[in-house]
Amino acid sequence: MIKIEGLTIHLGSFCLSDLSIEIEEKGFHFLLGPTGGGKTLILESMMGLHKPQKGKIWINDREVQSLPPEKREISYVPQDLALFPHLKVKENILYGIRAKKLNPHTFEEYIQALVRVMKIEPLLERYPAHLSGGEKKRVALLRGLAPKPKLLLLDEPLTGLDPSIKSEIQQLLKTLHTSFHPTILCVTHDFEDAYLLGDKITVFINGKIEQSGTKDDIFLRPGSRRVAEFLGLKNLYRVRVLRPEDSHQRWILGLNGFQFSAPMGGHLSQSEIGEEADLYVRPEEVMILREGKPVKDSLKRNVFGGEIIDISDRGRYHLIHVQATEGNVLFEISIPNYAFRNLGLWVGKRVRIALRDESLWVMK
Amino acid sequence: MEDNEKMNFRYTMIGAAAGIFIFYLGLILSLFYFVGGKGFWEAFLNPYTLFSIQLSLTAATLATFFAVIIGLPSAYALSRFDFKGKNIIDTFLEIPMIVSPIALGASFLVFFNTPLGELIQNKGILFVFEVPGIILAQFATIAGLTTRLMKASLDEISPRYEAVARSLGSSPWQAFYRVTLPLSFRGLLASVILAWAKAFGEFGATVTLAGAMPGKTETMPIAIFTALASANIEKAIVLILILMGFGLLTLYGVRLTGKRYRYD
Repeated sequence: MIKIEGLTIHLGSFCLSDLSIEIEEKGFHFLLGPTGGGKTLILESMMGLHKPQKGKIWINDREVQSLPPEKREISYVPQDLALFPHLKVKENILYGIRAKKLNPHTFEEYIQALVRVMKIEPLLERYPAHLSGGEKKRVALLRGLAPKPKLLLLDEPLTGLDPSIKSEIQQLLKTLHTSFHPTILCVTHDFEDAYLLGDKITVFINGKIEQSGTKDDIFLRPGSRRVAEFLGLKNLYRVRVLRPEDSHQRWILGLNGFQFSAPMGGHLSQSEIGEEADLYVRPEEVMILREGKPVKDSLKRNVFGGEIIDISDRGRYHLIHVQATEGNVLFEISIPNYAFRNLGLWVGKRVRIALRDESLWVMK
Repeated sequence: MEDNEKMNFRYTMIGAAAGIFIFYLGLILSLFYFVGGKGFWEAFLNPYTLFSIQLSLTAATLATFFAVIIGLPSAYALSRFDFKGKNIIDTFLEIPMIVSPIALGASFLVFFNTPLGELIQNKGILFVFEVPGIILAQFATIAGLTTRLMKASLDEISPRYEAVARSLGSSPWQAFYRVTLPLSFRGLLASVILAWAKAFGEFGATVTLAGAMPGKTETMPIAIFTALASANIEKAIVLILILMGFGLLTLYGVRLTGKRYRYD
């Protein structure tokens, strides 16, 4: 386990205070947040470039915050990679093993396996100036992994790549992680990368940790409106808790005269009447009801009428915008292509929509 | 029309560059008007001439050596670290560039008349009108410049290389020696050569502090001055040609080494 405890760093205009992150051994942990928020500063403090004012960094049972970078066993792959231009690829890869005076023979098999997986054999005798962008990235990853660090820090490894190279590196990172199990902390502003690769995600906004958890925790159950907005989630509403329903099994939430019925649980279990909360309606859990078909009992509580005001074909699914008749509430609904074809929808059509209980998520 | 204008522009600019070249070349060629004349070889083989060549080479090399010993760590500090007084140090590096060389030499003469200066002279090394004075004067002239030039070469190397080297297990010394030094070598070497050439041609500070004693403290630039002062044109020309020869060779050397240090 790698732990950051109450880390506080003031440097220039950045002021990060009291950060705590836990990274599981062999985990692929993402630190996700907007660009320019100080994520790189966290990485640089972890590797030892900046001395934190307060806080501890643990690598397993070892406290490393006062150690110099070379004693921490943390490899760092910066965004610009910083491959040593005066060394051949092979020498770049072996740099860590040589600098740490490790026995090269014990690493031979491991390095060969890495070289094979990353398809670096033909590049070994080249200088970095003669590598393509994707090749450079591969070499930098391999150089970082070569001395078997306790933690590998990646700074925006997928930013600024051509789409084809990007997917290649994504796949490679996945393969690397499943075959060699390094513990990785990866910084990115791209939530898709975090979703695709991360098994744990920490969302970091404005110098604060907003939420930490699995990708389902983050993407399906965002902890705050800030997280939801950063993830680009739609259907976020500021609602008021009106009254209990079903002998306190559910709450009625109000928005401009519009009323949702939400099951108790999550943030709602601590709510009181009159309180405000943020409601997220998951676009893929909203149903458009077929005309004339009876509505299941489980859906009856949240059925609304409205008009389709926009339809956009997103390739793999369709996005439908429905304006509810009551309260002028706008819903974005994502439906599979087959459902779109079966329902026969057009802009201006009046429809009824039903919100499944699974579609409702209330945040503090 | 547009093409024509572009060509005119090009010729004007290149013409200016050629003009500078012809200006200097003419100056050098004019020296040869007297070469081979009566007394030329005599002046060339004169033991005092040979002595001043040897003295100039030795003194400039030693002065450069000391300037690098102190200048390289200073340059590194100014390039990589933030510390109190950094700007003041940076400003002081320019002192030899804004103060005239004779003023610099004179300041040394004054210093060696203070109690501390006298102590150094009496108990340590004699500087005034002695060979160490030449080295000191040249060192003073080039130390600031050397530091500045080396700082500029180090600035070009991203500190991230060192950061990565550190994370891979190098101590700060190793990271400097294995990564930053080889990467900035070209620039550092050019700085050293330029510093050497400047020390080699230094006149004002040297003559003020070390005097112009033939066979003792007379470096080439000083010998040129004394030769002219005593109307020994042949000797002056011989020395000027040798001085220029060395200077051009070293400066051209900078460009050659530059070409060899590309990583492909």
